Amino acid sequence: MEDEGGAKESWEPKIIGFFCNWCSYAGADLAGTSRIQYPTTIRIIKVMCSGRVNPQFVLKAFQEGADGVLVSGCHPGDCHYIEGNYHARRKLTLMEDLLEFTGVDPSRFQMSWVSASEGQKFAEVVTEFTERIKKLGPQTKLSGGEG
Amino acid sequence: MTDYKALEKQIQDQARQWLESGEVKYVIGFEKGDNSPVCRPVFIYKPEDAGKLAWGPLCNNNLTKYLVEEVQIKPKKGEEPDLRPVGIVVKPCDSKTIVELMKENIVPRERVKIIGVISEGTINPKALDKALKDVPLDKIAGIQILDGGDNFTIKYDGEPLSVPKDELLNGKCKVCVVHNPVVYDIFVGDKVTQIDKDEFEDIADLEAMSDEERYEYWKEQLSKCIRCYACRDTCPLCYCEECVFDRTKPYNWNEKTVDLPENFFYHMVRAMHLAGRCVDCGGCERVCPMDIPIRKLNRFLLKRAKERFKVVPGINVEDKAMFGDYDIDDPGEGIK
Repeated sequence: MEDEGGAKESWEPKIIGFFCNWCSYAGADLAGTSRIQYPTTIRIIKVMCSGRVNPQFVLKAFQEGADGVLVSGCHPGDCHYIEGNYHARRKLTLMEDLLEFTGVDPSRFQMSWVSASEGQKFAEVVTEFTERIKKLGPQTKLSGGEG
Repeated sequence: MTDYKALEKQIQDQARQWLESGEVKYVIGFEKGDNSPVCRPVFIYKPEDAGKLAWGPLCNNNLTKYLVEEVQIKPKKGEEPDLRPVGIVVKPCDSKTIVELMKENIVPRERVKIIGVISEGTINPKALDKALKDVPLDKIAGIQILDGGDNFTIKYDGEPLSVPKDELLNGKCKVCVVHNPVVYDIFVGDKVTQIDKDEFEDIADLEAMSDEERYEYWKEQLSKCIRCYACRDTCPLCYCEECVFDRTKPYNWNEKTVDLPENFFYHMVRAMHLAGRCVDCGGCERVCPMDIPIRKLNRFLLKRAKERFKVVPGINVEDKAMFGDYDIDDPGEGIK
């Protein structure tokens, strides 16, 4: 980390977000254009659909040192591809179970449904998730690093 | 109680009949090992070799892996492919594998002729070694194992040994609830009555632990992994032509380094790939040179898949695949 010598308060978590192109990414965009404040801890990766998010992506993000992973898609029933988010829900809830079973804190992973008009909700989800990760501290179990 | 000799005779007769009539290309079965009582896979092409086929509690392999390889062979240019079915001897757990393979359109039903044999449990060769520590080495290959209800009787030319089944059985057999083949052309043996029991009792102690304890447990286990990929190579449901762990382009998902984060990644991704598909044949644990309890990961997901999505693999070919299907009312607690 850049600030190894720094006090613990200066530690900022790294959160990777996988956002769907049609709803959540547009929602994040709306938050930006509406000048809604949200933490800078999140790095958003745009995917075409939350159904595109392979559990492998999430595990890889953790392995590469992410402190939290947020996957966001359209509300159930609103998927641009009709059923992508239902598939995402099945895969990722099961992956969350696996995180729990291997002893990695499953609360480092979060799923959310954010529509294109929910800039405010996006900001809330990210703020709340960042607060939670800050309490948990750096993720070392899957990355093997010191933070 | 299973009479292994009678089952063996039936298997041999059936294989001989199929090979004589030319109905099958060849028969995949078990034969007795050379210097060991443990059976090994054999491919029988001629009717006169059918007598080689053996059956016993030491037939541990899941032979369906060879079936997958058979259907994946591409014919040479200008050659007419031989599409006759292949005969195969299966235990109940292996027959569940065939159901999964048919469900996933890997093995067409008409390409396989199944001799389904009942099984009340197979013996773990490592446990057998322990039980045979007093038997002279030159006698071990010639031992005979008989099913005596609650125990196995091991016969050799000394005093016969009687060992409780619990000591010898494979872990998967102790918790197994399916003792009859699910899919078959020929049923060998008398139908075993189903026992009703908690099939997930073996992971209950792990589930009761705290997150930290579980992490320590898996850390200890997975740090042993040498990533020989034997678990993947033996798994009949790991049939991808190019495995994600072998691929380095366009992106190298998993470094070849053997360290803890890479091992965690490997085992977790493999568990996810088998989620809702694994039929718990125990192949991965059987071949693991480091004795990692790989099955526990798969079984945990098996349990959760059953609880959350009512998916039970390997029972019905008509069932939908776990991740190929969804339900609008799937649980999604914790999603914001």
